[in-house]
Amino acid sequence: MAGAINNTPRSVVTTESRPVRYLLTGLALLFVGLFLVIPLLSVFVEALRQGWKLYLAALVEPDALSAIKLTLLVAVISVPLNLVFGVAAAWAIAKFEFRGKSLLITLIDLPFSVSPVVAGLIYVLLFGAQGWWGPWLSDNDVKVIFAVPGIVLATVFVTFPFVARELIPLMEAQGSDEEQAAMVLGASGWQTFWRVTLPNIKWGLLYGVILANARAMGEFGAVSVVSGHIRGLTNTVPLHVEILYNEYNFVGAFACASILALLALVTLAAKSYVEWRSARLALEDQRNALNDQ
Amino acid sequence: MSIEIKQISKRFGQFQALNDINLDIQGGELLALLGPSGCGKTTLLRVIAGLETPDAGQILFHGEDATDTHVRERQVGFVFQHYALFRHMTVFENVAFGLRVRPKKTRPSEEAIKKKVHELLELVQLDWLADRYPAQLSGGQRQRIALARALAVEPRVLLLDEPFGALDTKVRKELRRWLRRLHDEMHITSVFVTHDQEEALEVADRVVVMNKGRIEQSGTPAEVYDAPATPFVYQFLGDVNLFHSRVHEGWAEVGGTRFAAPEAGDKAVIYVRPHEIDLARNASNDALAGIVTHVRLLGATVRLEVKTDAHEALEVELTRERYQAERWAVGDAVWLTPREARVYGA
Repeated sequence: MAGAINNTPRSVVTTESRPVRYLLTGLALLFVGLFLVIPLLSVFVEALRQGWKLYLAALVEPDALSAIKLTLLVAVISVPLNLVFGVAAAWAIAKFEFRGKSLLITLIDLPFSVSPVVAGLIYVLLFGAQGWWGPWLSDNDVKVIFAVPGIVLATVFVTFPFVARELIPLMEAQGSDEEQAAMVLGASGWQTFWRVTLPNIKWGLLYGVILANARAMGEFGAVSVVSGHIRGLTNTVPLHVEILYNEYNFVGAFACASILALLALVTLAAKSYVEWRSARLALEDQRNALNDQ
Repeated sequence: MSIEIKQISKRFGQFQALNDINLDIQGGELLALLGPSGCGKTTLLRVIAGLETPDAGQILFHGEDATDTHVRERQVGFVFQHYALFRHMTVFENVAFGLRVRPKKTRPSEEAIKKKVHELLELVQLDWLADRYPAQLSGGQRQRIALARALAVEPRVLLLDEPFGALDTKVRKELRRWLRRLHDEMHITSVFVTHDQEEALEVADRVVVMNKGRIEQSGTPAEVYDAPATPFVYQFLGDVNLFHSRVHEGWAEVGGTRFAAPEAGDKAVIYVRPHEIDLARNASNDALAGIVTHVRLLGATVRLEVKTDAHEALEVELTRERYQAERWAVGDAVWLTPREARVYGA
């Protein structure tokens, strides 16, 4: 009896009438389909339109391969850098009080609020041939703009907030009691970080890293300004897609785009898993807190 | 180990948290720092632990200056108000933490750590929870694990910040008796902070009452309760009725009853506890006339609120038996006589 009631938990009291429910749900599904599902599917349909062989050929073509390699290289450099910056910034902001704290928080958000193209331009103005440090750099034969270092710099800038933004609220909520407890028990700063702080933030950190990685691999605007689009040298996957598309090489463009789309799907799956894990942990905490009452 | 606190001051911005505190804590003593929130008691505890640096003054541990000793080297055990257990470690690992982070030279072997942790878990009677995580424990269990963890490093001093604050009344009462017994067995110098006067009076050897960053009084529970040094202490240690009076030739008066007021000037404030007032049905010149406005049954005692002409509402407490024998009800006329009182100069 009770089971039968539990099978239909929807209460008449708190729901809208049937037509309204269908209408709202239908509208939501229509939007999701139109703006998310169909475009995503079309990427794969277009990429495979002329068969598997051409699809694979477009991916192993030397320029495409070098673009993929460069994209991976950029991610491999910029994500760890952001990981270190992000943890350090979040640690400082969440656990200490100091002058200029709110300024630092605003600065961390800057890459979110500035257009990526502007971010790219900043680096051109600093390191470009006519820029502030351009002459010195060319005298010493260091290439930043239109080379790999510029792409890495722009990517680091654009992905800067992801890890820090993810960690600050988490670390603020956790407070510094556990760190103090570790210290009283005789742990050094390093031991406290590795044994207490890091395990407590690992899921939030992973989440931030996943997002930062997705952005690092997918960034177009800022990278486009500083890269110079030299095929086989300074082209990342998003830039390569644009070039191919402009040359009417649709199979190639969509094939490369499908890699980015796949990356997005993998990121989403990883993100959902991490969210599910941390939500389950939070729920457990909450349930136990309730049990205490 | 004894602790000497000499002229400690601490300021947070505009807020003077501690103002020239002097206190000697005897070795093996169980001392309570009692006071309202914001009185500086937790700050003082954290200064002793080394979690806060005082602006001025000295802390001596066993006669040695420990003011500049890092918290890591002070060998204190600290139990945090919300326990601060490491949430990603099992109970066993929590208790073992202090031993595991020792430098290689002084770190005990894995066997020794295991033995020690199980000893401590048996001491707090929670050996069966060794593999659980803090989130799976009740508040009282967490509290005891936090205590075991603090004791694992064999501290010279045990410091507890509102140790029973977050627990419900029944668990709190059990735990504080348990803590008292534990202290009697171990004799480790202990200081705990509380805002609950009943807790301080029941558990501690000595109670230090604090207010606004200063120590108001320090003494055994009986001393502070029976002979409060200041009006603040008197008010903080229990409910009070307050009367104002002029002083004639060294005597203050409440509704016809006279109390010696040798130290007061020409005005005095008189404090009377609710259970130190006698009630009568018969009119009398030496008593305060009033009308019962509320009756509250509080378990073993009954509290009457009485409205008088000259004073604000007064509270009178009597035993349940007496209440039942005399059958007081709202609207009854009543004559009040204070049996005891404390007189302070106003």
